[in-house]
Amino acid sequence: MLEAIRRFRSHLKISGVSGISRRYFVMNFFDGAMTMLGVIVGAHTTGASDPRIVIGAGLGATVAMGMSGFSGAYLTERAERMRRLKGLKKAMLSDMRSSVHAKAAHAASLWAAFVDGISPALAAAIPMTPYALSLLHVISPEQALLASVALIMTTLFGLGAFLGRISKENVLISGLRMIIVGAATAFIVLVLRAIPA
Amino acid sequence: MNPTIKKMVLDVLKPHEPPIYELASKLASLRGIDHVSISLAEIDQSTESIKISIDGSDINTDSVKHSLEELGAVIHSVDEVAVAKRTK
Repeated sequence: MLEAIRRFRSHLKISGVSGISRRYFVMNFFDGAMTMLGVIVGAHTTGASDPRIVIGAGLGATVAMGMSGFSGAYLTERAERMRRLKGLKKAMLSDMRSSVHAKAAHAASLWAAFVDGISPALAAAIPMTPYALSLLHVISPEQALLASVALIMTTLFGLGAFLGRISKENVLISGLRMIIVGAATAFIVLVLRAIPA
Repeated sequence: MNPTIKKMVLDVLKPHEPPIYELASKLASLRGIDHVSISLAEIDQSTESIKISIDGSDINTDSVKHSLEELGAVIHSVDEVAVAKRTK
């Protein structure tokens, strides 16, 4: 088992997939968090604050984003890796079928797909937890709304801080930048709701 | 008494990854090989030409070839070889 994990990590290192998978994680985690923000704020402004409705819509969004992320990333990354492998075969004048590069290409596609699938699903699942508590009557739907929005803003801040760390910029400013985007999204949803049909 | 290969110098073409120290470690871990040294001869956008010098008590050419192929490398030529009678 440990040997298989070591070999998989070696394949990922050879394929150089860490940069692209970091980008996938950030982009899709952001997508997941913003989607849930839209779902939650939209649900409450239309009076559909029943936790079952929010959880149902949220689960649907979580599964859809996860499936879309996984399959889309796998097919895209696979096509890109195959193209690169063919270029390498041409440069090496060799089939390379049994080489570590062919295995690395496959490993990279799987890893990118996993990251692309799990990140939006995780980001969408986190803010649903207060609604699960509301369903169990631990907290009220209004408290669940506030807790969910707070969780989303916290995760957005965390994401921004992570980006700030990667780019070696001020992590506080980077985190606040993300919160501003989240707040703007919630504001736009509220404004759209206020427009008479 | 069967002769054994004591030294080989290979001209090898490899992709940029894995790096030459990983290649050297992989070859040095093979049975019958005691010492491996690799030098970089040429480099281009996709590949590197390297010189691999292998010393050992009983070098198995098939194992060396197989290990290099697993790492995506290709042997262009065998530039030098030293063979000795197997001593008991």
